[in-house]
Amino acid sequence: MKKLVTDVVVIGGGTTGIGVLRDCAMRGHRTILLDRADLAQGTSGRFHGLLNSGGRYVVSDPESARECASENAIVSRIQPNAVERTGGLFVVTPADDPAFGDKFLAGAALADMPVQEIDPAQALAREPRLNHGIKRAFLVEDGTVDGWQIAWSATASAKQYGGQALPYHKVTQVHHSNGQVTGVAATDLKTGEEVMIDCSFVLNCAGPWAGQITRMAGLPPVAVVPGRGIMIAMNHRLVNTVINRCIPPSDGDIIVPAHTVCIIGTTDHKVDDPDHLVVPREEVQQMFDSGEELIPGFRQARALHAWAGARPLIKDDRVAATDTRHMSRGMAVIDHSQRDDLKGLITIGGGKLTTYRLMAEHIVDAMEEQLGQSHPCRTGDEVCPGNEPGHNYLVTHRLKDREADRMTSPIICECELMNRSMLVDLLKQNPLDNFDDLRRQLRVGMGPCQGGFCSSRVAGVACEEGVIDATRSTGLLKLFLEHRWIGLWPILHDAQVRQAALDEWILHGTLDIGHVPSPTSVERDPVDDAPIDETGPTTMEELPPGARAPQPATTTRRRTRAPRSQAANTPKETK
Amino acid sequence: MFEPASYESNLLARASLDQCVKCTICETQCPVLAVTPLFSGPKFVGPQAERYRHGLVVDHSLDYCSSCGTCTLVCPQGVKIAELNSVARAAMKKGHTPLRDQIISRTSFMGKAMKPVAPLANAVLHNSAARWAMEKTLGIHRKAAMPTAHSHSFSDWWKKHTPPSAPTRGKVVYFHGCAGEFFEVETSIMTVEVLEHLGFEVITPTQGCCGLPMQSNGLFDAARKHVRTLADQLGVEPDAPIVASASSCVTMLKHEAHDIMGVDDESLIKVGSRIREVSEFLLDLADHDDLPLDFSPIEMTAPYHAPCQLKGQGMGRPAVELLKLIPGLTVVDAEATCCGIAGTYGVKKEKYDIGQAVGRPLFDKVREINPDFAICDTETCRWQIATATGATVVHPIWFLHKAYGLG
Amino acid sequence: MTDVIVIGAGLAGLSASIRAAQAGRRVTLLTFGLGGLQLGQGTIDVLGYTTSGETGAGGSGPGPDRPVARPFDQLPGYVRAHRDHPYAHFSVDQVREAVDWLAGLTPDLLVPGDGANHVVPTALGAMRPTYLVQPSMVWPDPTSVAVVGPRQIKDFYPDLAAANLEKTAQVRTKGYHIDLPARPGEVDSSPVAYASSLDDPAFLKRFAELVAQAIGDEQAVCLPAILGLRRTDAWRQLSEILGRPVVETLLAPPSIPGMRLNEALTTQAKAAGVRVVLGSQVTGFESDGRVITAVTLRQAGRDQNFPASQIIYAPGGFESGALTMDSYGHVHETLFDLPLVGAEQKDLLTGDYWADQKLFTVGVGVDDSMRPVSADKQPVYQNLRVAGGLLPGAIRWTEKSGDAIAVTSALAAVDAVFATSAPQGGTN
Repeated sequence: MKKLVTDVVVIGGGTTGIGVLRDCAMRGHRTILLDRADLAQGTSGRFHGLLNSGGRYVVSDPESARECASENAIVSRIQPNAVERTGGLFVVTPADDPAFGDKFLAGAALADMPVQEIDPAQALAREPRLNHGIKRAFLVEDGTVDGWQIAWSATASAKQYGGQALPYHKVTQVHHSNGQVTGVAATDLKTGEEVMIDCSFVLNCAGPWAGQITRMAGLPPVAVVPGRGIMIAMNHRLVNTVINRCIPPSDGDIIVPAHTVCIIGTTDHKVDDPDHLVVPREEVQQMFDSGEELIPGFRQARALHAWAGARPLIKDDRVAATDTRHMSRGMAVIDHSQRDDLKGLITIGGGKLTTYRLMAEHIVDAMEEQLGQSHPCRTGDEVCPGNEPGHNYLVTHRLKDREADRMTSPIICECELMNRSMLVDLLKQNPLDNFDDLRRQLRVGMGPCQGGFCSSRVAGVACEEGVIDATRSTGLLKLFLEHRWIGLWPILHDAQVRQAALDEWILHGTLDIGHVPSPTSVERDPVDDAPIDETGPTTMEELPPGARAPQPATTTRRRTRAPRSQAANTPKETK
Repeated sequence: MFEPASYESNLLARASLDQCVKCTICETQCPVLAVTPLFSGPKFVGPQAERYRHGLVVDHSLDYCSSCGTCTLVCPQGVKIAELNSVARAAMKKGHTPLRDQIISRTSFMGKAMKPVAPLANAVLHNSAARWAMEKTLGIHRKAAMPTAHSHSFSDWWKKHTPPSAPTRGKVVYFHGCAGEFFEVETSIMTVEVLEHLGFEVITPTQGCCGLPMQSNGLFDAARKHVRTLADQLGVEPDAPIVASASSCVTMLKHEAHDIMGVDDESLIKVGSRIREVSEFLLDLADHDDLPLDFSPIEMTAPYHAPCQLKGQGMGRPAVELLKLIPGLTVVDAEATCCGIAGTYGVKKEKYDIGQAVGRPLFDKVREINPDFAICDTETCRWQIATATGATVVHPIWFLHKAYGLG
Repeated sequence: MTDVIVIGAGLAGLSASIRAAQAGRRVTLLTFGLGGLQLGQGTIDVLGYTTSGETGAGGSGPGPDRPVARPFDQLPGYVRAHRDHPYAHFSVDQVREAVDWLAGLTPDLLVPGDGANHVVPTALGAMRPTYLVQPSMVWPDPTSVAVVGPRQIKDFYPDLAAANLEKTAQVRTKGYHIDLPARPGEVDSSPVAYASSLDDPAFLKRFAELVAQAIGDEQAVCLPAILGLRRTDAWRQLSEILGRPVVETLLAPPSIPGMRLNEALTTQAKAAGVRVVLGSQVTGFESDGRVITAVTLRQAGRDQNFPASQIIYAPGGFESGALTMDSYGHVHETLFDLPLVGAEQKDLLTGDYWADQKLFTVGVGVDDSMRPVSADKQPVYQNLRVAGGLLPGAIRWTEKSGDAIAVTSALAAVDAVFATSAPQGGTN
């Protein structure tokens, strides 16, 4: 058992929790953040990548729009390398009511959100693939943002102020006595070690999982209504500007150019369990249809990968619980000293990535109010480490970097241009990482081949560098391929079918991966891992991907059969 | 950045990058990658790098691509790899094309400029001091293959030429290209004589440059203008086949102007669908038992090199099939990818060594099969092979002309 | 001008072309790009693993598969258990003769079969069963193996391969590196660059010296499959210098052994008089409803019709795009829109990566003369035959069966052409 002492424990390593960690640390609180998985592996890493100009709220919620407009500028400034200033367009397609555009302009004026109506021809000149029948177009300051990079650079900033982030630490209990929080118990999932942290304050930033945390404190659960949305990444940037449909929020109304891909989103369906998210075929069809409305030929373009994320909405009695889109997107702060007579615990729900910094500011203000303190928030003033002030991300960056160094370091992931030294540096820094952890930082395996060529190279490099032994490396390789497939099979069509078949030829046909011994010691991943029921799926709808283990320590048997011929070596469950 | 109009044309090739499954076939066949690691290879600069560009080009090493088109040819998935590279190169060079690239990309200008002073021009092109100066000032390698200037152009000959009085077949429009006008005059004359011998009425409209050298040097606006003009010129006889002896120019008209530069004028599409390589045209006659086979034997074994631009037309090797019909003649396909000249690539100072290395397997093959005599459809490739091996290199029409007893 | 049009230049298309041309038919081979041989492993599979056909322990899917020692002995039983398998169209002798025919075509490149499968090491450390191997791949049954590779190749990691081979091959292994780029200064040398360099005797000698310095007293040496592209004896020379057997280990594409095989067969085809048209896609066809009269080739600038008397269609399966699933989930054969077997199954794909995906068993159903047939078993076109990856009923990468299916079906298609038509002209 490891013992730690701190002032504040933040539970949840999404952007909200990390923003809070950074803010607490900058205000001088000793703070430790815990997450049962990797940083930003939940909702923060499972969205479409929009840095909102405010345009999406401008009609329904001008106050949110105002916040977005101002936070958009701040995040672009303090974390420039995570943000691409793509600009955004709101377009009225032939199927839409042009009059909504007037409401849009009026709302923008009310929210002080910069907007410019442009001639549809100008919009088409900028984005030639757009539906040529668009009737109106509005230029806004949307950008795109990498949720993982936001999380890591804010974490790096927090570290400079003494904050500590512990991913893969699953909270098992929130201790309290006499109406005051006293500590948090957790398990280090990578080593199996128990960790006890003494603290006086816990900030529950677990988003869709916030209810589970309040239960661990022995309190009546907070009613969280996770809203599941699916996203599909397309093989290349069909557009270089964020394209929004100028209509009241609906399914499939946005295409976001993020890194080398563009992402269409999203849907919204109430789910009971944020660990059981699916990508239903009919929603995939819905996205393809919506894509056609914005970009004719969208169905013939190559879809790479799909995923689902859960909106962290706290139940709001003002609207029906089943209609999550119309709930306020603002954040909900539940002070448990008022709700449950327990001091030192605040639960946060709702919110959006663009305003994560502002939300953190409010949360820490609320904590300090309870503690009778007041330190100024400085998170908007300082550029996070690893960022070059004033230099926003451009999609050309990696190509430029590789142009400079490809004669000195081999390129391991050719699709996403990750070279060997990037991989080795991270491996040595985080020797316990699984390949998905590496992927989130390096984008390895996220391009067209989806790991077909690069994943066995990663296994080989990890082994050659002496960071991961051959047995574990082989196991992690297999696990990585299982996880890639979860996001592949629901969208598999045309070019991606060819890719999947070639990948099968390589990995199974030539390399015979199914008959390489399976290790018995690879831990399953608490979030990415899909449980497959004893009976196995019988139709696509019955077992959509993105389905997750209810608990990492599940006893469900994961696979109906082992990787080929290795029945005796079925991977063991998570400890 | 591209103007919107040309950006739109970029989309043609760009859309094809979705077909890439990273299979590596293009990399295994790329003749430049085979000889230098300085080039990151067709898959890298093509479908991979394109995902990182949007008109903004940061990877200057893509200029090592010779535009030979082998990658597109061998790709089993239909990725327009070479075309993607050409578009990216044009974006990269927009506004700062070196003077050298502007000069060598204007074949007809060179031809016209050199014609009145042909002996002098030839002396300069074959004088080492002058070539040294050209290398220093223009970046044209001192040893690079150069055309031989002629005092008489094809047009000079045509003006004095008397066609047969009673053609027995229909009309054909003859397209000789700039090189055929100024440098490869004999090839042009032989082509006309063979066509007339077969009974065709040959029409030679005024014709300018197809724009290919400009295109391959990234000068798209100029290239578009030229190809449009040429399409109008060649379209004079709407029903007649257009026959050509300049295979790289044929490629430009058949598909490159459309695929790379997005030119989709109806006149171009029509001309592109009617134009034939002379070997392709004659083989088609043979396949329909419509070509007289009264050839005199030619006892010779000669290597044949299929130029990249001709291979890129996706019609196999019509010259090989055609020349098989001549008794006594053994034509050995050298099965080489590229001669290394790739239009104007191999003459540039910084590319010369790569071009020579690319061509080496071909040169070796030529020396092995027949060190004195070789066959190739494209003029720049003939100059390259001749300069490197010392062999006489002729267009396939040379053999037909001879076998029909015309020369 | 052409008796037989073959579409596709993979193993099936090349085999069909060579067989027909050697028998005196005028053959035109149409291929969009290079065929898939150089993406494969460069050996000839017949049957590497069988699945029991019984239900697995969990009640879903087939049980664990077993390695096959003598494929021809097991084929009859395997076909009885898998009645829709491509092999169900052939006798065991037919398969054996087809494979022997191929081995006879390329005697320098393929070791003649003796009825037993070989096992070949792979870069991930599996011992992969296959039937015909290249001479550089014969496993010498050592008790200890040195696994060696240059640091500059990114698809071969000796430590990983060695550790896994220790279990799969049950030998003592150790991984070693040498430091030798294929070309001076290169950090990222492709297998092609190495293979070309190893064609050069001086480079080969340097390579061998470094390997000799690196390794211990192991009985055999596993090297990546990069041992020469144009010369086929590089492995032998290395073996002589090192004084012990050398074994080529299979890598991800590009496959040098596959390139050797592709080169050998393409050369054979051209030597036999096959007219090869590379780089244009067959995009359509003309038919009178019963017979296909021409196929349409999309050449630069225009569509060109190739009149056809007999057509052998060998374009590959899902990996080539000849079979595909569109965005609505419908499966198609993309050129002739041929009827498919298995496409109507409900669960074509599942989320379990290790399960067999039924999608990849979908294909074009044929009669025993390889003519595509409709649901009522009638030939769709009298003169159209298919071969290779289009045939339904097998996941070839799992079974390790694709090559013999391709060759056998190609020869069966050609033989059926011979049975129905005399050559229309002499060789050209």
